[in-house]
Amino acid sequence: MQVAVLSDETRSVDAQVFGDRVVVSPGDLPDAIGWELKPEGLCRDDVCVPVRDPSSIEAGDGIDLVAAAAALGCPAAVSIESGVVAIGQPAATRKRAIEGMEAVPFTLPDLDGELHSLDEWRGSKKLVHVFASW
Amino acid sequence: MIGVALDEHPDDVREFAEGISYPVLIDREHVLSELYAVSNVPTVLWIDEHERIARPNGVAFGVDMFVELTGIPAEPHKQAVRDWVTRGVVDLPAEELAGAVDDLSDAEVAARLEFRIAAHLRRRGDDAGAATHFARAAELAPYDFSVRRAAMPLQGEDPFGEKFFALYEEWQAAGSPYHGLPRPTS
Repeated sequence: MQVAVLSDETRSVDAQVFGDRVVVSPGDLPDAIGWELKPEGLCRDDVCVPVRDPSSIEAGDGIDLVAAAAALGCPAAVSIESGVVAIGQPAATRKRAIEGMEAVPFTLPDLDGELHSLDEWRGSKKLVHVFASW
Repeated sequence: MIGVALDEHPDDVREFAEGISYPVLIDREHVLSELYAVSNVPTVLWIDEHERIARPNGVAFGVDMFVELTGIPAEPHKQAVRDWVTRGVVDLPAEELAGAVDDLSDAEVAARLEFRIAAHLRRRGDDAGAATHFARAAELAPYDFSVRRAAMPLQGEDPFGEKFFALYEEWQAAGSPYHGLPRPTS
């Protein structure tokens, strides 16, 4: 079945469901979560996160998406009936902001869809005003 | 200044961004709500030149429109911002700033993920599926406005209506939990 994966972007991938596990073929992993499985671990661009126990993310011939997220330190939630997986921010990054008081980076679109990163204002004082229409 | 709206669609935000010269970003997936533990709006945080959080999550207003409800006048925070910008002085002692934001619990993190699943299902027209996951999110984080109040307009409910005031009372009865600095007293 096609599964929607919500992480840093929304992706759609062909996956199989075993019980409460959502499994993709290793070759489809980048299309699912943006990370590729290599001998050195889960890799994206020039960053690799070692996977201590590769068997922990394997399910048969495939890769369990929630376990792969966990290997990246990210929480995940699954709706099997709706075919959606949501992957959250790395817990360690969140703790750097909350406990370490570090301004951890984020990238978000403006109202015209143009992406902006906190980095754009590096070296300046910034007041971040989080608001909503609700 | 950087504005970040915890909203579903840019059109929800445009009227609030009119006449504003600073960038206004839209955080549909509640990235800041998770990374910085933002649990209500408005939340203001200050980031210094060294990419450190100089003053973490706090409630502050630009105008006194809601002061009767909130009891938080705009001016003290605005003066504190001026002092920080011109003199580099933060209005609160360091020991009050460190540890002011409690980390999210596992349930509060899970609530954010359930919220995102619900919003995604709503986008694809599955309102029943969305309702299931909005309800699950509300169970996981019952006093988190970024989860519960944010879901109201996405479920056809008035975020300034009866449901909001019921939530507000529940939240007050629970001790007004907030991931950030204590509310300023006037």
